[in-house]
Amino acid sequence: MLTTEHLTLKFGGLTANNDISLTINDGKITGLIGPNGAGKTTFFNAISGVYPPTSGTVTFDGVRIERKRPHEINELGITRTYQVINLFRKMSVVENVMVGMHDRLTQNFFQSIFKVGSERREEKEARERAYEWLKFVGLEKRASDLAGSLSYGEQRQLEIVRGLASNPKLILLDEPAAGMNSTEKEELNTLMGRILEKGVTIMLIEHDMKLVMNVTDYIYVLNYGKLLAQGTPAEVQNNPDVIAAYLGGD
Amino acid sequence: MKKTMKKTLGPVIGAALALALPFILRNGFDWNYGVQLACFFLLYAIAVSGLDILFGYAGQISLGHAAFFAIGAYGSVMLHQYANIPVFFSMIIAAAFATVVGAALAYPASKLVFHFLSLATIAFGEVVYQFVSQSPGSITGNFTGMFTQTVSLFGYKLNSFTKYYYFALAAAVILLVIKRNMIKSRVGRALIAIRENSHAAEGMGVNVRKYKIIAFAVSAFYTAYAGALYAHLVRYISPDTFAYKQSVMFMTMLLFGGTASIAGPMSGVLAVQALNECLRSAETYQMLIYGILLLTVIVVMPGGISGVVRDVAARIRYRKSGAAAAGDKKEEVDDHADN
Repeated sequence: MLTTEHLTLKFGGLTANNDISLTINDGKITGLIGPNGAGKTTFFNAISGVYPPTSGTVTFDGVRIERKRPHEINELGITRTYQVINLFRKMSVVENVMVGMHDRLTQNFFQSIFKVGSERREEKEARERAYEWLKFVGLEKRASDLAGSLSYGEQRQLEIVRGLASNPKLILLDEPAAGMNSTEKEELNTLMGRILEKGVTIMLIEHDMKLVMNVTDYIYVLNYGKLLAQGTPAEVQNNPDVIAAYLGGD
Repeated sequence: MKKTMKKTLGPVIGAALALALPFILRNGFDWNYGVQLACFFLLYAIAVSGLDILFGYAGQISLGHAAFFAIGAYGSVMLHQYANIPVFFSMIIAAAFATVVGAALAYPASKLVFHFLSLATIAFGEVVYQFVSQSPGSITGNFTGMFTQTVSLFGYKLNSFTKYYYFALAAAVILLVIKRNMIKSRVGRALIAIRENSHAAEGMGVNVRKYKIIAFAVSAFYTAYAGALYAHLVRYISPDTFAYKQSVMFMTMLLFGGTASIAGPMSGVLAVQALNECLRSAETYQMLIYGILLLTVIVVMPGGISGVVRDVAARIRYRKSGAAAAGDKKEEVDDHADN
C-alpha cells in the first residue's frame, strides 16, 4: 500500500530520518517504535507531506507522493492524528469531524455562499455522516460542545474520527494512547480493530509496548533516525539490538 | 408554537425598524443628518464585516484595509469619470478589481504569520495611500481629491440620503446573508479551521493557501464595495480618508464589537460612530481615543460588545434553567466568547 525507499530527511546538519525503506501492508496494523528522538514523528511528517524528504521516494497506491503537499496527500487517502493534540478547539465536536470531510464535499465557493439546493443537501448529509462517525467512538452526545472542552481521551478519539471522516485508505496514528487511562487504552485497542474492519490500514507510533505487541502485525524499529530492526512483534521483542537500544546497553 | 413566534418576532421587528428608520429620523426627529449617519453605519458595517471574514474567521490580520476601501472608492469614481461607466456598475467593477488585488496580495502573504502579515499589510496600505496621493499625471486628483456624483440606477438618481439609505441597506443585507451562508458552509469551516490550527487544517485536506487567498479576496470585495458606497455618498474623496488611521479604525470597530459574528461588526460600528459624534469637538485626539479604546477592549472585554451580550445571555439562560448538571457544559461554551 505504502512504500518508502531510501527516505532521508535532514534539518540542516541533523539527519532525522536516514535511508528508511519500509512497506505498509494493506489491511494490517504496522507499528513504528523506537526511543524518544528516534525520528518516528518526523517519519510521519515526511510521508504526510509536512516536511518533504531530502531524498528518497514515497509511493502510495502506485503514486509517488514525496513532493506533494499535505492536503493533496490527504485527498489521495492518507490521514493522520498528531502526537500533540491538534483539534480545532473553538469549533464544535461535530464541525471538527466535518472539517475532516472537507475534501469529500463537492460544493464550490459560489454554491456555498448562495446556499443552493445541492449545497443544503450535501451539508445535511455531511452532518448526518459526521454524527455516524461520532457514534463510532461514542462521542455523539458531545456533538455540539466545543472540541476544547472534551477530556483528553475524548480529544484523542475525536482526532481519530476527524481523520477517518475523509474515508482514508491509511491512517497514521501518532501515540494515540498517550495520556489515556487503562480503560481508554482497552477501548482504543478494540477501536483499532473496528477501524481495520472498515477497510482502513493503520500505521501506529506508540510507546505503550503492551499495546503495540498486542495489536500490530508487523513492527519497524527506529533508532537515531535509522531503521534498526523489523519483524513480527515476537521477533522484535527478542531482537538483541532492540533490547540494547531500549535499555541503553552496548 | 410560542417558541417559533419568538424566533420570528425578533427579525421581523428588526426588518421593520431598518425599513422605517429614515422616516423616523427625518419626520419623527427632523434629523436628516441622522439619515446620513445611518448610511455611514451601513457602509462601515459592510467594510468591517469584510475585515471580520479575514481576521475574525480566518485569523489573518490586516492593518491595511484602508487600501481596499480606497481601491473601491477611487476605482469607482475614476471608472465613472474617465470611462463614463454608470455609477452602480463602476462600484461593482471597482470592488471586483479590489478582489483581484486582494488575491494577488494574499498569494505571497499567505506564507506570513501574524506579526509579519501585519507589517506586510501596513506596507500595502501605505503603497496604495502613496499612489492615490501622488498619482502619475494626477489621475486621482492627489491631495486636491476628486468630486463625483451619487449613484444612478438606470437613470434613477439617488439624490437624497433616504434613497441612498435603501440602496446601502440592500447591499448590506445581501452581503451579510452571503457572509452568514459562507460561514455555515465547508468554506467557512475551512477558514475557521485555519484560524484554529492551520497545521491540522492542511493535514485534514484543507488547501490552506487557497483558502487564505479566498479570505483575503472576499474581505477585499466587502471593504472595497463599502469604499465605493462612501465615495458616492459623500461625493468627494481625498487621500486623507484612506490613510493608515482608517485601517486602525476598522480594526477598532471590529474588536470593539466582537470578532467572528454577524452582530459583532455592526455593534462595533455603532459604538464607535456614537463615540465619534460625541467627541466631534475633540477630533485632534481621535487616534488617541481609539488607542485607549482598543487597549480597554482587549484587556477588559476581549469578546467585544457581542461577547459581553453573549455572556450575559448565557448567564440569564443558565439562571432560568437552573439545572446544575447542564451548567458545567454551558460555562465551557461561554468561553467561546472570550476569543
